[in-house]
Amino acid sequence: MRPHLRDRLSLLFFLAPALAFVLVFIAFPIAFSGYLSLTKYNYAIDKAPTFIGLVGYFRTVVSDGFFHTALFNQLEFAAAYVVITFVVSLAVAIMINELRHGVHFLQALFYLPMIVPLSLVGITFAWILDPNFGIFNTLLHALGLQTRPFDWFGDPTTAIFAIVVAQSWKMIGFALIIFIAGLQGISSELREAARMDGASFFQETTRVVLPLLRPYLLVGSIWILIDSLKVFDIPRVVTKGGPGVSTLTLYLYSWRLAFQRLEMGRASQVAYLTAAIILLLSWGLNRLFRPEVAQRA
Amino acid sequence: MHSSVLLPKRRRRHANPRWIIGVVVIVFAAIYVFPLLWDLATSLRPNDDIYRYPPTLLPGSLTLENYVYVLTQMQGFLRYLANSIVVTLATVLIVLVSSAMGGYAFGMRRFRGQNLLFLAIILVLTIPYIMYLIPIYMMEDRLHLKDTWLGLILPYVALNLPWGLLIMRGAFSTIPLDIRDAAVIDGCGEIRMWWRILVPIARPALAASTIITFVFAWQEFLFASTLMPRNSWQTLPVGIVWMRDELQTVVMGRIGAMIVISIIPVLVLFLALRDFFIKGLSEGMLKG
Repeated sequence: MRPHLRDRLSLLFFLAPALAFVLVFIAFPIAFSGYLSLTKYNYAIDKAPTFIGLVGYFRTVVSDGFFHTALFNQLEFAAAYVVITFVVSLAVAIMINELRHGVHFLQALFYLPMIVPLSLVGITFAWILDPNFGIFNTLLHALGLQTRPFDWFGDPTTAIFAIVVAQSWKMIGFALIIFIAGLQGISSELREAARMDGASFFQETTRVVLPLLRPYLLVGSIWILIDSLKVFDIPRVVTKGGPGVSTLTLYLYSWRLAFQRLEMGRASQVAYLTAAIILLLSWGLNRLFRPEVAQRA
Repeated sequence: MHSSVLLPKRRRRHANPRWIIGVVVIVFAAIYVFPLLWDLATSLRPNDDIYRYPPTLLPGSLTLENYVYVLTQMQGFLRYLANSIVVTLATVLIVLVSSAMGGYAFGMRRFRGQNLLFLAIILVLTIPYIMYLIPIYMMEDRLHLKDTWLGLILPYVALNLPWGLLIMRGAFSTIPLDIRDAAVIDGCGEIRMWWRILVPIARPALAASTIITFVFAWQEFLFASTLMPRNSWQTLPVGIVWMRDELQTVVMGRIGAMIVISIIPVLVLFLALRDFFIKGLSEGMLKG
């Protein structure tokens, strides 16, 4: 009995630190914000949360105009962001994979933005796109593409896409890691065989490489999607959700409810709804990349 | 074989795309690193050269005065730098120890509910941070942990632990169990054996955890901006933004210098441990 007990104790010893952190700072908070989402609770005024059940969710989903705006902006952002990040990083991965020289150097260049804090990425792009002193407008002007300087982050139609470009710039490195790992796993004999049969580079890529890459495409797109729903830093730093509410995203809305208006119940509802959307969209992507679907196409 | 007759012709056809691809990649890479180079260029230009209308691509003259000013005159910036260094190093250290311990338990021991528990921890990676930020804020408010280093370090450890565990479990599960058993037979205690024998074997995984945790903790914004409302406790990603918004005297050249300085530590580490970073992330993302 004693050795058995000692075994248990030593197992507990090794697990304890990790479990303690996960329980106190992750598991408990998730459960607690789940409870908060079922209450009405203003942190500044109310002494304790008042339980209201699903009424709060109902109000948020049906009649909260800001939530609708945030949801719409979020989906617009996610669609543009996933497509751009996915296409660009896949294209770069396929092209780099073809090269024989300077591969490591080029990869490093694309990985570099991963280490730049997103808030500073925001400042950098705001500076480049600055309507008065930004270099981007100057270059457009010099190329004859534009007559007057344009305020990319300050215009309600372009602001969200400026954020897409800035955040995408950082995320491409992560997606690249996944795609390059996938490409390196594809046997060169298979591609050689395709080439022997007279396939062009384009045919070889679309008919041989991409189908074999499918699991990696799925993982990559899910990570990009998850990242797209976490968009917060750049709208918070650069556009402050504006102009108007044109860059108010779900994260930003939840954050404002919680830490500016101290409505912890409503903020938790938005947070939970965001998580639900992530799950739903990930599930959708999973179906999209399922083997049989692709074979039919 | 007729293929030997056809081969030269095909080669020529495929020699074409490769150099075209090379040119495309190089042009795109140049555009891609431009924002970083532009920060660097801005930080090296004197003020009147930066705020010239219309702006010019090439600097009129170069100067280090922005760096000198930022490093000698701006107490706030040095404070942010110190906060970032303390918080990040402490986070890395605690993540390493607890994930090396937990990774051993998950990778080399067997116990009931093991896989389910591990899966639950890994799922955390996909859950929106804001879900746990609200209760953590309320908790830290009650315990007076807001505006303290510890108040940021503890949640950072929790956020980065799943990555650490994933990597460390992977490393420990490849170590043959014989090594452990041999050590136990030699009368080596389990904790001693873990520390003396297993941890040194898992050194590459420790390097991967170090760089990944460092990069993430160094650039975190959401928790830092929420849990550190007082300016003097902020870290670099939050503090630099605050200076840009609130201090009229802080012009873009100085912001550029601050951005460059705040990237340097993580850049050095990245260049030194790049392969571990890439390998750790790709393993983590592909399993997740």
